[in-house]
Amino acid sequence: MSEKLYSYTALFDTPNDIIHAAKTVTEKGYTKFDVNTPYPIHGMDAAMKLPPSKLGFVTLFAGLGGTALALLMMGWMMGIDYPIVIGGKPFFPLPAFIPITFEITVLLATLTTVGALLFFFFKLPNNRHPLHDTNYMKNVSSDKYGICIETEDPKFNAEEIKELFASLHASTIEPVYFDDDEVNFKVVVADPKFLGFLVAVALFVSLSAYLHLNKLLYIVPFSWMDEQEKIVVQKKNDLFDNGLGMQEPVQGSVARGFIPYPFKDKPEEAGKLLVNPLIPDKDNLEVGKNKYNIYCSPCHGYLAEGDSRLNDQFPNPPSLHSEKVRTWSDGRLYHVIVEGQNVMPSYSYQLSRQERWAVVNYLRVLQRSLNAKETDL
Amino acid sequence: MSTKNGNKNIWKSVKEYQDDPEVLKSKLNEFQDGVTDDFNINEMSQFSRRKFLAVLAASTAYAATGCTSYRDKGEIVPYVDRPEEILPGKPTFYASTFADDGLSYGILIKTREGRPIKIEGNPDDKINKGKIPSKVHASILNLYDPERLQFPRINGRKTSWDKVNEEIISKLVELEQNGEEIAFFTNPITSPSTQRVVNEFASKYSNVSIYTTQLVNQNNKIDAWEKSFNQKIIPSIKWDKAKVVLSLESDFLGKEGNTTENRLLYVKGRDVVETNELNKLYCVEAGMSLTGINSDVRLRLKPQQQFNLVLSIINELLNSGKLDKSKLDSNVLALVNKNSLAKFSSENGIDKSKLKELVDNLSDHKGQSIVYGGDVLPSETHILINLLNELLENSDLYDYENGFINNSKISSAEEINNLVSKISNKEVGAIINFDSNPMYELPPNIGFSEVIKNVETIISISEAPSETTAISKYVLPVHNLLESWGDHQTRNGQITLQQPVISPLFDTLQKETILLNWINRVPVSDDLYQTYLKENVKEYIYSKGNYAADFNTFWLTALHDGVLNIDSESVPISRVNQTELQEINSAQKGISLVINNNNFFSTGKYANNGWLQELPHPVTKVTWDNFAAIAPATAEKNDLVNDDLIKISVGGQEIELPVMIQPGMAEDTIVTELGYGRENSGEVANKVGFNVNPLLNGKDLSQYILSDVTMTKTGEVYKLASTQEHHSLDDEFVKDFHRLRKIIQEGTLEEYKNNPKFLDEHKYEIFSITESHEYKDEKWAMSIDLNKCLGCSECISSCNVENNVPVVGKEQVALGREMQWMRIDRYYSGTPEEPIVSTQPMLCQHCDNAPCENVCPVNATNHSPDGLNQMAYNRCVGTRYCANNCPYKVRRFNFYNFRDSFANAHYDNELTYLVNNPEVTVRSRGVIEKCTFCIQNIMEVRENAIREGREIRTDEVTTSCQSACPTDAIVFGDSNNNDSKVTKHREHDLSYHVLEELNVKPNVTYLAKIRNTRTEDV
Amino acid sequence: MSSIDYTQERSVVEGRPPLRSLDEIISKPLDTKPDIKFYIALAITLTMLGIGAIGLAASLYWGTGLWGNNNPVGWGLPIVNFVFWIGIGHAGTLISAILFLFRQKWRTGIARFAEGMTIFAVITAMIFPIMHTGRPWLAAVYLLPYPNQHSLWVNFTSPLLWDVFAVSTYFTVSFVFWYIGLIPDFATLRDRTTHKIKKIIYSITSLGWRHSNRHWQNYELTYLILAGFATPLVLSVHTIVSFDFAVAILPGWHTTIFPPYFVAGAVFSGFAMVQNVLIFIRKIFNYEHIITLDTLEKMNKIILLTGMLVGYAYSMEFFMAWYSGVQPEVFAFMNRAFGDYWWAYWIMFSCNVFFPQLFWFKKIRRSIPIMFVLAVLVNVGMWFERFVITVTSLSRDYLPSSWAYFKPTLTDASLLIGSFGLFFTLVLLFTKSLPVISISEVKAVVDGSQPTHGEH
Repeated sequence: MSEKLYSYTALFDTPNDIIHAAKTVTEKGYTKFDVNTPYPIHGMDAAMKLPPSKLGFVTLFAGLGGTALALLMMGWMMGIDYPIVIGGKPFFPLPAFIPITFEITVLLATLTTVGALLFFFFKLPNNRHPLHDTNYMKNVSSDKYGICIETEDPKFNAEEIKELFASLHASTIEPVYFDDDEVNFKVVVADPKFLGFLVAVALFVSLSAYLHLNKLLYIVPFSWMDEQEKIVVQKKNDLFDNGLGMQEPVQGSVARGFIPYPFKDKPEEAGKLLVNPLIPDKDNLEVGKNKYNIYCSPCHGYLAEGDSRLNDQFPNPPSLHSEKVRTWSDGRLYHVIVEGQNVMPSYSYQLSRQERWAVVNYLRVLQRSLNAKETDL
Repeated sequence: MSTKNGNKNIWKSVKEYQDDPEVLKSKLNEFQDGVTDDFNINEMSQFSRRKFLAVLAASTAYAATGCTSYRDKGEIVPYVDRPEEILPGKPTFYASTFADDGLSYGILIKTREGRPIKIEGNPDDKINKGKIPSKVHASILNLYDPERLQFPRINGRKTSWDKVNEEIISKLVELEQNGEEIAFFTNPITSPSTQRVVNEFASKYSNVSIYTTQLVNQNNKIDAWEKSFNQKIIPSIKWDKAKVVLSLESDFLGKEGNTTENRLLYVKGRDVVETNELNKLYCVEAGMSLTGINSDVRLRLKPQQQFNLVLSIINELLNSGKLDKSKLDSNVLALVNKNSLAKFSSENGIDKSKLKELVDNLSDHKGQSIVYGGDVLPSETHILINLLNELLENSDLYDYENGFINNSKISSAEEINNLVSKISNKEVGAIINFDSNPMYELPPNIGFSEVIKNVETIISISEAPSETTAISKYVLPVHNLLESWGDHQTRNGQITLQQPVISPLFDTLQKETILLNWINRVPVSDDLYQTYLKENVKEYIYSKGNYAADFNTFWLTALHDGVLNIDSESVPISRVNQTELQEINSAQKGISLVINNNNFFSTGKYANNGWLQELPHPVTKVTWDNFAAIAPATAEKNDLVNDDLIKISVGGQEIELPVMIQPGMAEDTIVTELGYGRENSGEVANKVGFNVNPLLNGKDLSQYILSDVTMTKTGEVYKLASTQEHHSLDDEFVKDFHRLRKIIQEGTLEEYKNNPKFLDEHKYEIFSITESHEYKDEKWAMSIDLNKCLGCSECISSCNVENNVPVVGKEQVALGREMQWMRIDRYYSGTPEEPIVSTQPMLCQHCDNAPCENVCPVNATNHSPDGLNQMAYNRCVGTRYCANNCPYKVRRFNFYNFRDSFANAHYDNELTYLVNNPEVTVRSRGVIEKCTFCIQNIMEVRENAIREGREIRTDEVTTSCQSACPTDAIVFGDSNNNDSKVTKHREHDLSYHVLEELNVKPNVTYLAKIRNTRTEDV
Repeated sequence: MSSIDYTQERSVVEGRPPLRSLDEIISKPLDTKPDIKFYIALAITLTMLGIGAIGLAASLYWGTGLWGNNNPVGWGLPIVNFVFWIGIGHAGTLISAILFLFRQKWRTGIARFAEGMTIFAVITAMIFPIMHTGRPWLAAVYLLPYPNQHSLWVNFTSPLLWDVFAVSTYFTVSFVFWYIGLIPDFATLRDRTTHKIKKIIYSITSLGWRHSNRHWQNYELTYLILAGFATPLVLSVHTIVSFDFAVAILPGWHTTIFPPYFVAGAVFSGFAMVQNVLIFIRKIFNYEHIITLDTLEKMNKIILLTGMLVGYAYSMEFFMAWYSGVQPEVFAFMNRAFGDYWWAYWIMFSCNVFFPQLFWFKKIRRSIPIMFVLAVLVNVGMWFERFVITVTSLSRDYLPSSWAYFKPTLTDASLLIGSFGLFFTLVLLFTKSLPVISISEVKAVVDGSQPTHGEH
């Protein structure tokens, strides 16, 4: 116990006494006093002349806030951020929102009210209050009714108060002092315990976050349907000797739309027998141009003159405007694309059959463009 | 990075970049006021210090979460040089052939990166027109069956091909020297080249004798045709030309003959969208077959009576003067006069008026009707039927152009019996089982399995384990059909080729290669038979026909198309030879028994295929079992209920079967199915159902109708697993719900003709409080024509393969947890004796106002912009609320990981994973799944359209059920497109939605079934 | 004999116990070591809990396939249990909030305990909706509207999501309500106890409450506000639970009568449960003079009332079905009474409608053993009500082709047993760790505890 006095307290035995006491103390004009009773006593608020509580307003605004929040949240999520057609309902199905709106309203209202009550109105938690662990408190929390006038009170005068209490037939009258540590309590800057606690929190949060995102989510059962029990493109597979999921077609089999090229190493026959299925028109010339520029131009050049970006890095390809090439039939050109010649490789992987013919057509256009005939004019 | 006044200068904010004076100022003193100058922590309140540290903690946390490592998703291995025909991620198709049971189907094999993933029909096949039965769809699973024979064995021990061939050859030589017989067992061979190899083998080893077995065969019919017309080729029927069809104990729509062709042609006469002239199908049968449930008029008759029925019909025709006696020989006339319609109907309790109507119908449509007898009927009946057809001038409906060629004759009972006796006298040195299964297919009472231990050398050339491989000394594994070369001719005028689409998965050989090796002693190699085949084709086709192209081009084109059309051999049309016909004893005692083939896996050959075992029986919806079907009245008489186990005994043989009470059956008749009760044939097939082969009579291999059967109750119960509850038909509590609830809407032809809009009477007026969504571009929809739908269940099979639907096993089916995305609902109305059966394919209806979507808490199911009800599997948490709220009950829940839970994870292995469609998610435990309208097909078509810069063409998208439907009853397309087929169907008078009054707006419409029968009968 | 003055309300606390004695008697269970009976009871409930745990572990490991659920019947026993337990909870809030608003003094004796049971019931209930899903480990998070890798939000039109919000709100609010009520008692305990650790614990939990009248003023207002909110909340919760069914389009589920009918049923079963447990509590801890026979009788009257409400709902369902003339609707109800599940229906009907009628007799209302049995029957009946609603409607809905019979499995049973285990374990621990009767409230209603006006 320090010498610093907090208040003078008095205990009474019956509710009537305490009401009476409260009345008188109020009349005497004391303001910094309080009544402590084991349970709320009817008429005490009147006796103490307490103003009506403001708590109701908190509840009202919290509630309204909840309603607005709920409606906005749902409206935004379902109608604006990611609108999906669900059961043919409109994007803002108000009737369906009502239940949740109601729940959120209630939740916010109650939590805010209680929060405000305890922490704002009552300034709880507070176990350092001088009244704690006093004989006075022990009694009022069981069956006695107490009143306590603080030193803070402007009219505070120990003697007067003692007399007043006595005149009210108080069963016990006693002073209450501040605890020592209460009196000389100082805010310690960054006390190690608290820091340690925060660091621990930080570590825990980081670690659990890391484990969750990098480990937990990749273990069974979270990993289900992550690895599919099927062979997708370019996936390894040990079942086959070559360890590939992708297999070569069987020797000699013929796939739909892929009858093998019949003129292997027979350029002349190809030239004779192959006919161009494509009549040059805007579309397939477009395709031809596109493919030519991608695959052919690097060596043959955009104008097929054999001057290209790769000049001198490879043996230069001949110009395709030569007499020889111009007199070649479409089939012959096609053959070159399919089988390649000299250093030129086959382009049958890069170009589909349609595209090859399209390229041939485009090449014809290029040739014509350089040596146009009168008839073209 | 901006370069201002020459030198690079780095700016931290736009303001700074614009030389904002404030910023410049702030740059001068780096620390702004209040931040840190004269920093005194004591001035700060406790709270802000906490805040500071709290922020510290939080930021650390964020830092940690920020640096997340990502897992290695595994290696990526592209092609070194890509084969021209394979574009990764895009399917490639190969034309080939599926041949089984004397029939062949042109198929297109869908492959992905050189792996077959689906089998579809080859539209170039002029017989089947790109349609294939369930077993073909499902057979892809056999390629990846973990229980395939994977390497040659001697006495069960693994060995090399060289060793085994060496041993066998020396053995064969030895046997030839000391003249012991080599019994060579095979199923009917449909391949000319194979036939030739076999013949060469037979001539190489003089003592080889060939036995051809087929459990369910057409011997009676073939025999009859030889007797009546003296020719081998049996014509196929031009069903599309028939106005009246009388089917006698025949399931030509279900499982007899080339069903795909029959269905295809038959439904041409039921196309209500085009015309309102329908054909009329009479069906007279003992059991309840698929044909029976689709018939307009169905009569119950004990199988033995069919002979007299035909006679009485002829008699009636004579009496009513629609026919003159002169056409009949005296012996037949005598028989005919013994019978009369009146006598017959009174004896068999059949409504005479119906019979009368039948006869009138037949005679009114001379030349436009057909009488068709079932394979189970004895040959005399068949001859009589041929005669009746001739009398009715129906011969024009015989199509010899595409007739059936029966090159290999089934061995007669005598031959087999002789063999057995030879074996028992140790005169047989070796038995070669050439991809058949004599141990199972020969009726036990022949005694083959008893004496076989006398033969020491038993060689099995087989793809899968079977009863015969189990007892074989040498087991030689052969290629699956998707790994094999071949040519097949089952029909006049068409030869189909077979090519491999994947190199052998295991150490197997082409079965012909093995024989070739034994003949020529050449080292085995895979192209051995390929070259042989090529040569042979060159010889017997190319050289005969005059083809422009050189042989190589010819060959490549043929492989490309998969089919070769050759000139069909002409058949001389002659009149029925009546002399052969003599009366048969139709007086049956006691209970009669009809033994049919099963619906899906052809005499047990494909019994080890879970997908086929789990297909519900088209009529009873029972899976994973065969059973003894009996009439309700018969059940009552013998106080039997469903699942009672009964003992059936006939001619000294007896077996046990569970009872299945089948409305509409002839009384005192049992109908059961072959192909079950396999042993040593694999995890799936073993002990599934009951083996009824013992009942087959050893004296006559082709006797499927038995009299004087006794049936006794064993008191035991055997639970059958069916996908539909069985309510007894006269239970008033649940009677005719499908009609009361407008699930099934039907009418008769005359109703329809009188009032095409008869469905619209008492329609509900429906309104909604919210206006419906606009679907701008495509809006996918399906229409199912119930007039064409026969309930054959082939859509289900195709759907299973396409969408990676797992097999759940009998127990789970019994619990009501089957996973098939599509089902065929079957409803009975009418009386237990004369039920009217309606079938209805049921799949996700993709409702516009889908009830499932509203209730999913996590948005895992919702609507796509093109009107699909879609599932996000990895979002689904499995509340099953959607399934509850689906009025059509088409959503399926993965109660377990079914791949893992079925038969000790039988299908949960690296090999079987290959069968899964890469385009479809493999669903895990705990999620809901359902029909997606094959969204993967839709997306592929859309990709192509986008790449080619065009709109999606009308009816370009097909779902797998649609392409599998043999009658094209299913139509799929864009309902926003006015020229699409589906729009046409939706606007048709007969179109309706199931449970329309719920206003869920389904996108699957049904065309009401029109029955060509008297209104009062419905 | 003296005539009773009926204008005077009868005291809810019998006799006139000195306030200090109330402290002692109420905090006695907390101060004394539990006796052997307690441990036996705890052993039993823990065993039940263990059984449940095993069942749950199994279903998590192998999958929901271990339950009887099948294709038409997607919801089986877990949902039945969920609705059942949520219902049990409602009595607590009703007693503490609604009766408080109606100024029913007799509630003070039982309010605290009832609230406690609310919280335990809700805890028990909340396990089921999560565990019944196919992938609970995801359900626990996916049902919350948080930004996720699917960039999908939750579906606010789904009744299941309404459940998530309703039940969690209900739990939070009930808990706060309960705690607020406990604060003064904690303070009292704090000032009574001599035990060091207890002292610390109570100091923390009481937040340093000082019984100050300036506090009491706001405190009472808050209590009133909470009561005011809890009342509509409790009605909303079971209403929303009933929406799980009523919003679906299934015949037998899709009915507008469900909300009031479910709430009535909830109060019905809740009161029965509270009554059952109180009968033991008042005996074991000698609270007969605080939880008086009058109180129990009043509860029985409420059981009788709600029982009749439920009975009315049953018959009205039938009438509406018949009146609507919709065939599936009519059949759904015929099927309940006369279909495959007729037995469940008639158990429900007799237990909920017939037997409670006995409470018309004062003798029975006041006879402890009989009222106990009747209340047990009520809970049996109410469990079957949920079974009937959930299972029968599902097993035979629109398409006869997909009808199937539902058979519960052992795992299903184990989960049910486990839920009772959990609930009663919590109740037992509660009785030993917290004052099961509100000290300050009881003090306030003891005769003479309030100032007599007109003096001085």
